[in-house]
Amino acid sequence: MTSQIEIQDLDFAVEGKQILHKINLSLAERRVGVVGRNGSGKSTLARLVSGLVAPTAGTVQVNGHNLAKDRRAALSEVGILFQNPEHQIIFPTVGEEIAFGLEQQGLGKAEAEGKMREVLTQFGLAHWHEAYVATLSQGQKHLVTLMSVVAMQPKLLVLDEPFAGLDIPTKAQLNRYLRLYHGSLLHITHDPTDLESYDTLVWIDQGRIQLAGPQGQVMGAYLEAMHSEGETDDLAHLTG
Amino acid sequence: MISLTSPVRTRAHRWPAGAKLAALAVATFVLFLVQDLLVLAVALGMTLGAYALPGGRFFRAGIVRLKVLWPFLAILGVWHIATATYAEGAEIILRLLTTVGLANLVTMTTALSEMITVIRWLATPLRRIGLNSRAMELAIALVIRILPKLIDNGQRLSDAWRARSPRRPGWRVVVPFTLLALDDADHLAEALRARGGFLEHTEN
Ligand SMILES: Nc1ncnc2c1ncn2[C@@H]1O[C@H](COP(=O)(O)OP(=O)(O)OP(=O)(O)O)[C@@H](O)[C@H]1O
Ligand SMILES: [Mg+2]
Repeated sequence: MTSQIEIQDLDFAVEGKQILHKINLSLAERRVGVVGRNGSGKSTLARLVSGLVAPTAGTVQVNGHNLAKDRRAALSEVGILFQNPEHQIIFPTVGEEIAFGLEQQGLGKAEAEGKMREVLTQFGLAHWHEAYVATLSQGQKHLVTLMSVVAMQPKLLVLDEPFAGLDIPTKAQLNRYLRLYHGSLLHITHDPTDLESYDTLVWIDQGRIQLAGPQGQVMGAYLEAMHSEGETDDLAHLTG
Repeated sequence: MISLTSPVRTRAHRWPAGAKLAALAVATFVLFLVQDLLVLAVALGMTLGAYALPGGRFFRAGIVRLKVLWPFLAILGVWHIATATYAEGAEIILRLLTTVGLANLVTMTTALSEMITVIRWLATPLRRIGLNSRAMELAIALVIRILPKLIDNGQRLSDAWRARSPRRPGWRVVVPFTLLALDDADHLAEALRARGGFLEHTEN
């Protein structure tokens, strides 16, 4: 199942500050990676694609839906993994957190509970059911957010640096899981190895599409630019 | 992200949330009728006894949560000493400690999702007349959820302050504390929106 992301002439501004400029993208591949420097606008793009915010100008459509308007459709079309799991988790226990999204999709309490246990078992974490989120480590919280979103089986998974802070085995395990994911992935990451098997890459720079196209080509150009930028000291510049 | 949750699983976790809340309502009501200091003291003793039942860890966690009351108790104490109304002061302090203690006990042993179910049941008449009660259910649950988070924020801010200052954090953390609270509310709203927000589903 492949999702179609259509972005046309998109501008996005927060309180008068323009963050994304004239974005045009048409993506229909199953595995799409997004790269770019800190502050380039990747998370902002992720929130727009997921319909959490509406563009200031232009349109975003996923499989023909305007998700910022149609939140009911959004629940089955797209699931987003926030960059910071603390910002995503609503409920105090792991079980409640996973079951909540399922209930929001219209499942009854018992059904949601059953499916929640299924997902936990699938990840080999059945014993986490009653664990308090507050007692989990950062990496474990990441895992909880992933399970909560995957449980809802969205057609498109938007991943905003899902592996930040995960240890090597956990990351390998999640990568294996994501490879098997039946839906499409839009994966933001700073690690080129995460995207090796991907079809398409989008490179964002200072709120604009710098390059979009086949994985090998874009990654090559991106890495080259990053290494030469690394030589200079421009951390002090705040885009504004 | 500390919540009013228990560090250990207790038997009371399995009792129905509705029954626990009803018992709490009755107990609170009765406590407001009682004026006898001895009876109130016994009630407080029994409440503390209930905290001790699941063991030391639960007891300590419960007492820590009651400690947030001390500024109120101090103000009450000062007032009643100043006005020489000792018996009344003792009565109010005992009652406050016992009712808040009991309420915390219920919160600590009840899952947030079960609270929502009870609120949903209470709101049945509202749905009958066509109102969306989902918003109310989630709003109440989120208040229960965010209060401890605010306490946690205060703790973290003062840690961050102390890591870089020899002096105690003062009024200067008030502004960051407020901003942090607003920020948290934003994130919570977005997390909720990511999973459908206040969608009302058909009865199930
Ligand atoms: N709420 C906001 N108000 C003002 N500016 C914002 C807001 N959110 C983001 N920005 C700005 O928008 C730009 C893009 O931010 P975004 O979070 O999308 O970057 P990013 O590519 O995800 O960065 P990172 O790799 O560090 O996660 C940044 O310059 C940031 O300062
Ligand atoms: Mg980001």
